[in-house]
Amino acid sequence: MLALFKRKKAGYIAKVLPDDLEIFVKPGETLLYSALSQGIRWPHKCKVGSCGKCKYQLIKGEINPQLDFSYVLEPEDVENGYGLACQSILKSDVEVNVNTINSQERTCTALKQ
Amino acid sequence: MKFFVNTRYLIVPIMTLLTIYGIFIGGAYSWLGVIFFGINILLDTLTKNIHLRADFDKIGNSYGVKSFQYSVMYLMLPIFIILQAVLALRLYQYTTTTPIENGIFFGFNYQIGLTKFDLIGSTLSAALWAGLGIIYGHELSHNKKEGFLVSRLLMALSGASHFTYAHVYNHHLDLGHEDDPATAPRGRNVYAHAWLSHMGQSKFSFDLEQKKLQKKNKSFFSYENKWILGYLYSLPSIILFVWSGGFLGIIALLTIWSLSNFLLEALNFMGHYGLIRKDGAVSHRHSWDNDSVFTSWFFIEIGRQCDHHVRGETYFWELDDVGGPNYGIGYFSLFVLTLVPSVFRNFVRQHLDKWDKDYATKEERDIAVRLNSNATGEVS
Repeated sequence: MLALFKRKKAGYIAKVLPDDLEIFVKPGETLLYSALSQGIRWPHKCKVGSCGKCKYQLIKGEINPQLDFSYVLEPEDVENGYGLACQSILKSDVEVNVNTINSQERTCTALKQ
Repeated sequence: MKFFVNTRYLIVPIMTLLTIYGIFIGGAYSWLGVIFFGINILLDTLTKNIHLRADFDKIGNSYGVKSFQYSVMYLMLPIFIILQAVLALRLYQYTTTTPIENGIFFGFNYQIGLTKFDLIGSTLSAALWAGLGIIYGHELSHNKKEGFLVSRLLMALSGASHFTYAHVYNHHLDLGHEDDPATAPRGRNVYAHAWLSHMGQSKFSFDLEQKKLQKKNKSFFSYENKWILGYLYSLPSIILFVWSGGFLGIIALLTIWSLSNFLLEALNFMGHYGLIRKDGAVSHRHSWDNDSVFTSWFFIEIGRQCDHHVRGETYFWELDDVGGPNYGIGYFSLFVLTLVPSVFRNFVRQHLDKWDKDYATKEERDIAVRLNSNATGEVS
């Protein structure tokens, strides 16, 4: 009952692996929106949940999906915690795994060397 | 400023309520919705040269109040239900030949019973405003889980619940491409587009559900089938109109659905006519902007298509002019032109030429040249 009177949380922290970055996500904001507005090069294309480019894996924590991910992701991906950042609102602090453009570039550089 | 920015988008809610009031009190007022539509064409044409930008404070925050704007959009669902219910009441009075006399309902004077002329006016008024209400179905298809459901229910009032899925998963992804039924290719007229786009989007939604259910090893006739469920959401309207008007009720409902879907597809037609995208991400150049002041406020900025398609997650009150292709006139004015295909083709030719020259990539221009020659003289 007292939970009803608790102050609304100012936001949540999303820890982004493998780059080990932290994003502050305001209530109601999507993970992708917060990431992009804080300068993180999160892969994306449509931003409305239809292309699947902003796919990530949830390792720890809870999210509130705004669209049904199963239209874009495979059933086994959904079972394994994959989601779309443009349609994910956080319900707690989270830890996620995403291949950011920075990490993709690092991989390319390493392969070239 | 905050008050002005938020209340300027109330034109449709206010005019819809007045249309409902007109149908309810009857007589000549039954035509109020049609008259409003005409007045809107006039206002849009008179203000076509006024183009404003989105309003932000000094530190770049929008003046739009999300809770207020979403409350209004959610409130439009019961308002559009009442619009259909009032028309159904009038149909009932007409089919039961209720005598025409004056009555008082909670202090409102109104005419009990109606003539055939009043019924036609009521039906057309309801149909036009049901169509204009589709702007909320569009806006709510983005951003919020609850909004998505309200969007589906709003669209179901026009028998088009499939739109919400097709808009997000098809139109936003395949815009400007032949895989997008909502993008009108060069040479097509608005009447053909209305049918092809409507059916194409329904087919897309059908296929989408089929694929989803196959992946989950579930039957097509599952309760998870959103294509079937969407049409079931339209059942209350069908039952209401059959009950209140029998065969005439079916005619009235078909009029509402046909006109409202025609207006929806006319918006799609105007938003992307003749534009081409060759792979790659959607850019500002893949939509036409219609952002004259009356269109912007009336259609809750749906005319800022260039910005909307690149920043689909952005609330309508934050959408802005991004320097994309622009017809230079509003939706009401342009809609009148589309109704006469030859006039529209003449109008759009100069804009398409400019697009081919100034906006298209080389690959897109090559396709445009081929399409222009295939359009058998309909478009230069």
